[in-house]
Formats: sequence, C-alpha cells, structure tokens
Amino acid sequence: MRRSAFAAYHPFVNFVYFAAVLAFCMLWMHPVFQAISLLGAVVNAVLLNGRRAIRFQLRFMLPLFVIMAAANPMFSHAGVTILFYMKDGNPVTLESILYGAAASAMYVTVIVWFSCYNAVMTSDKFMYLFGRIMPALSLIFAMVLRFVPRYMHQLKVISDAQACIGRDYRQGGWIRRARNGIRMLSIMTTWALENAIETADSMKSRGYGLPNRTSFSIFRFDRRDRRLSACMAGLLLVLVLGAASGANAIRYFPSVHVQAMTAFSVLVYAAYLTLCLLPALIQTWEDWKWKSIRSRN
Amino acid sequence: MQQQEPLIRRRLSRRTPVAAALVLIVIPATILFGLFVLDDRKYMFVSVLIVLYAMIPFAMIFERRKPQGREIIVIAVLAAIAVAGRSAFFMLPEFKPVVAIVIIAGVCFGGEAGFMVGATAGFVSNFFFGQGPWTPWQMFCFGLIGFIAGNLYRAGWLRRSRWSLCIFGGLSTLIVYGGIMNLASVMMFAAKPSREAILASYVSGFWFDLVHAAATVLFLFFLARPMLEKLDRIKLKYGMME
Repeated sequence: MRRSAFAAYHPFVNFVYFAAVLAFCMLWMHPVFQAISLLGAVVNAVLLNGRRAIRFQLRFMLPLFVIMAAANPMFSHAGVTILFYMKDGNPVTLESILYGAAASAMYVTVIVWFSCYNAVMTSDKFMYLFGRIMPALSLIFAMVLRFVPRYMHQLKVISDAQACIGRDYRQGGWIRRARNGIRMLSIMTTWALENAIETADSMKSRGYGLPNRTSFSIFRFDRRDRRLSACMAGLLLVLVLGAASGANAIRYFPSVHVQAMTAFSVLVYAAYLTLCLLPALIQTWEDWKWKSIRSRN
Repeated sequence: MQQQEPLIRRRLSRRTPVAAALVLIVIPATILFGLFVLDDRKYMFVSVLIVLYAMIPFAMIFERRKPQGREIIVIAVLAAIAVAGRSAFFMLPEFKPVVAIVIIAGVCFGGEAGFMVGATAGFVSNFFFGQGPWTPWQMFCFGLIGFIAGNLYRAGWLRRSRWSLCIFGGLSTLIVYGGIMNLASVMMFAAKPSREAILASYVSGFWFDLVHAAATVLFLFFLARPMLEKLDRIKLKYGMME
C-alpha cells in the first residue's frame, strides 16, 4: 500500500485533526455539513485503506443506515408534518424520518472516520503523544497490542503439541473438547505469566522508570507541521465562528428549520470542506510534486 | 486456596477530590453545555464525554502511584488473555470471556487492577473488532465490573468459591454490562432517546445479555480456580502488589 502523506506529519497534528473532525461530525447535523463530512471521510478512507476496504465497510453500513433511519419514526412522534398514522394510532412525521436519517448518517460517518484514524494513528504515535502524560497506561496499551498476536501464536504451538498426545480441542466428544480447550488456555496462562515476569525483570535491569529516557520513534515538529497547524487553526476559527453565528445548526422539532444561506455561511461550508478533505489534498499535492520532480530528470 | 485475605481499609483520600470535582462540576457543566449551547440534541457527543470523564480518576491514581514494571506487565498479560479469548470465540456473538477474566483480576489484584484490565481489554479488543463510539462505554463497563469485584472481595462480600464468583459474574454481566450498554446503544443509535426507545433496547438486548452472562458463568466455573491458583502462585513467588 502507498504511504500516506498526511500520516507522515507530526502525531500531534494527526491527533488534533482527527479529534476535531470526529467532534464536529458528532456535533453538527446540518445536512450540508453532514454531506461534506461523509464525503471527506469516504475520500480519505479510500486513499488510506484502498477501495476494497471501503466497499466492504459500506456493505455493512448501508443496511445499518436503513434500519436506524426507519427505526426512529417508530419511536419518536414529535414534529408537525404528519404523513400518516400507524396501526396503533401513533403518527409518523416527516421531521422524525428526516432526523432518523440524519442521525444514522452521522453514525456511519463517525465509523468511516474511525477507520481513517486507525490507519493514520499507529500505536507508536499514540505512545509518543501519551507516553509523557500517562507513561504506565500507554506502556500497558502497547504491550497488550503486542501480546495478543503472540498469544494467538503460542496457542497454536500448544495446540499442536497437545494434538500429538491426543488432547487437542478437535479430538474426542463435546465435553472432552471443552476440557482440552480449557487445559490449553491454562497452559498458555502459566507460560504467559512466567514469561511476563521475565520481561518485567529485563525491563527493570535496563532502567525502566528512570528519568530522561527516549522513545523509539523520533518525530520532529518542523516547518511543514507548523504550516499545517496554522492552516488548521485558521479553518477551525472560521468553523467556530460559524457555529457561534448559528450557520451550522439545524432544528428538527417541531418543524425543520435552518438559517438562510448567506455569503458567510458559504465561507463556513468551504472551510469545512477544506478541513475534511485536508489529508486528501495533501496527498494529491505530494503526488503532484513527486511526479513533477521525476519528470524533470 | 479457599481462605479469605484479611480486610484492608482502602485509602480513598487522593482520588476523592478529583472524582468529586468531576461528578459535581464537570459532568453537570457538560450536560448544561449540551442542553443550552448544543440545543439538547447531541446525546452521542455528551454521553461519550461523560463516560470518558468517569475513567479519568482511575487513570490519574494509577499514574500517580508510579506502578512497578511487574505490576504493569501482569495487568497487560491479563488484558491480553482477555482479548485473545474474545478473538478465539469471535464466531459466537456475545460469548466472550472478558468479564470472567476481569473479575478474576479484580479478586486477585484488587479493584484498581481490575479496572485497568477491563478498560484496557475493552480498548484493545476493539482494535481487532472495530473502534467506534461504543469503545468508551465498553471500557467503562468492563472496568467497572473489575472494580466492583475487587472491592466487594476486599469488603468480604464476594468469596473465592466457585459459586460465589459464578453468581456475581452472571449478575454483574446482566445488570452492570447489560444495563449500561443497552442505555448506551439508545444514546448512540436512537435519534431521540425516549422511554419507549430505552424499553425497546432493554427488551431486544435481553437475550444477548443473557448469552453474555451465561458465557461469563461458564468461563468462571471452569477458569476461576486454576486462574486464581496461578495468579496467587505468581504473587507469592515474586512478592507482587500488596
């Protein structure tokens, strides 16, 4: 897979970006903002995870979207535009259908953004950012991420060894299988605990917990990070001003109401579009630069 | 290994001010902010923030204590076993051993360690199962069960016998995990939480919670004694925690 240009920036920039985008996505349910956020999420997810990953994701997301959008009018009867009455006499309103659609669109968008987050914020970046404020917790986090694949592998080793003496979880009747499975888990636990103590002693002998330690990855906050941060700060300022003026808000109940579009609200939309597409724009810019450098020689 | 450990008074002094500030000031402020500034429609955002606040005192006290390498690594091992167990049974939805292992961790190493194992297992397992707005909720539920188990054990209410652990495991899964997660799904999925939506969520979630509780009881029934023995042995052999 291609290396993402946005992921090459400083972890702090990456983290602030995703925190802002996720928060805004959950906060603003204005249809224009939702459409922009969904577009940005899908474009970035395609660039980061490839077309197949997003197709797989959308296959799960679309039924979820339909179910959630349909469920809302069943439970919520607020709103003034009554379309028809259900069998039990409760009204189905246009407002609650629209609100259900908007809420489920928000949910789908959040999940697609999270898939981008997972691709960009790798665990060493997470460690780098939070290693200072919560060293013990981020160490636990990094160790667990490492242990899980290791234990799965060790389980395979134990299972092979047990199969040789007829005690695998695939051998025997139902109860015997269960008992063999539990025994394997028990063997694995003993191994894991002894192993862990050795790791802990090794950590201690190499100076874990002493001051002035360095981290594995070296990230420098350099000029392009500063430039991108300034750019993001400007966009965030415009968006917060927009939120303060009410351009980002929508009222669903009792009747749907949005502020009329003004020149300023168009500016806010443009800022949001730029923010949501920022990783994609950076990628395109880098690709263009790379191509132009190569074609010069 | 059936004997009870002597009762120890927990020192709550350092956590109390932070927790009190969060509960009395920050959480109501967030709710009011949601009500007035965000127009009372951002249930998902406000609820995720509140759950994150609820975990801050635990994280703070743990960091402030400067835990030793051995303690950190045993917590990581238990969390990893819980995650590996959850992925081993991935084909059976809701049939997960996480709660069982979190309870064992809480009983053996105390409520704080139980909370850490639960929260870490919830966080990391979602790297394999998919992160989302439900992650903080799951972290909080798993952690809370571990915390309750550890403190009930310290208080002498929960015993090390198989049946005591199984009953506690089943009830806590059904009431704590099911009770909070069904409410959470209303906060996340339903556009506008209403009494009917919450009731519908509890009714539709009940069977899933029952399967989850049955899985917890089953895992505790088989795993509790061997796991507690192993952990006690490690504790005794290397003189850890306490």
